[in-house]
Amino acid sequence: MAALPRRIIKETQRLMQEPVPGISAVPDESNARYFHVIVTGPEDSPFEGGLFKLELFLPEDYPMSAPKVRFITKIYHPNIDRLGRICLDILKDKWSPALQIRTVLLSIQALLSAPNPDDPLANDVAELWKVNEAEAIRNAREWTRRYAMDN
Amino acid sequence: MRFLSENSQNFVEVEMGNCLKGSTADDISLLRGADSTRDSSSSDQLASSPPYPEAAPVYYPSPNVSRTATQLTEEEQVKIAKRIGLIQHLPTGTYERCKKNRECVICMIEFMIGDAVRCLPCMHTYHVDCIDDWLMRSFTCPSCMEPVDAALLTTYETN
Repeated sequence: MAALPRRIIKETQRLMQEPVPGISAVPDESNARYFHVIVTGPEDSPFEGGLFKLELFLPEDYPMSAPKVRFITKIYHPNIDRLGRICLDILKDKWSPALQIRTVLLSIQALLSAPNPDDPLANDVAELWKVNEAEAIRNAREWTRRYAMDN
Repeated sequence: MRFLSENSQNFVEVEMGNCLKGSTADDISLLRGADSTRDSSSSDQLASSPPYPEAAPVYYPSPNVSRTATQLTEEEQVKIAKRIGLIQHLPTGTYERCKKNRECVICMIEFMIGDAVRCLPCMHTYHVDCIDDWLMRSFTCPSCMEPVDAALLTTYETN
């Protein structure tokens, strides 16, 4: 296996030394490019009180290409599908090597606070979010309680 | 929405939730791929592959599309040749202490006096090797996302 680039070592050290509030990212013991991530549901969102597990993988040509990130914990959100895939432009065509693991995870946390049903990944969720937001938010709270608490 | 990148003078514009089209199944397979590389023991791989595999240069006719030279269409070859030409027009120099940036945001290694650096029209500076690798994929400044070709044209017009 090729040596770990200095940038990945530095980012990992900085994540440990100055953790982002509400986010933990720990590299896997046997693969330094694979991170176990936990994001806490933001306050005043239907995800509040939940602990959401994600996996983050830095591909071979990182930072020239974006990290691969996926929710492992089930979540009711118009921009996250049932496989946990996330619709976020900086993970796709708006990626820039000036972004980092830290900024990516902050963006994902912000996406939980600001769902965007007009650009959906989970179509049924987005549809309900548009026609009956109150019910969609109730569902999101229920899923948070059922899948993202006490585990 | 704006987030501050590590380097405090560089902002990166971030937009939320914009991408139904970009969602492909390979996200999942790549994550699983991480596990499989971990499982395959490195000694096996060393035994079966040649000691010094020749790395063919890889080109990126558009972001997320990687090809070796022989796989490129004529149109893509022209596009890449033009891109290489444009990159050569961007000024290079050696790093001096007075510069504001202490660290190249791409490799996150501190600039050393005498390092070869390239300066984009927006005045953001990077190691030549780091930025050229990125510019071959996307002709934008990593820090401010400004399209470099538009900025280049403006520079030509004002001169």
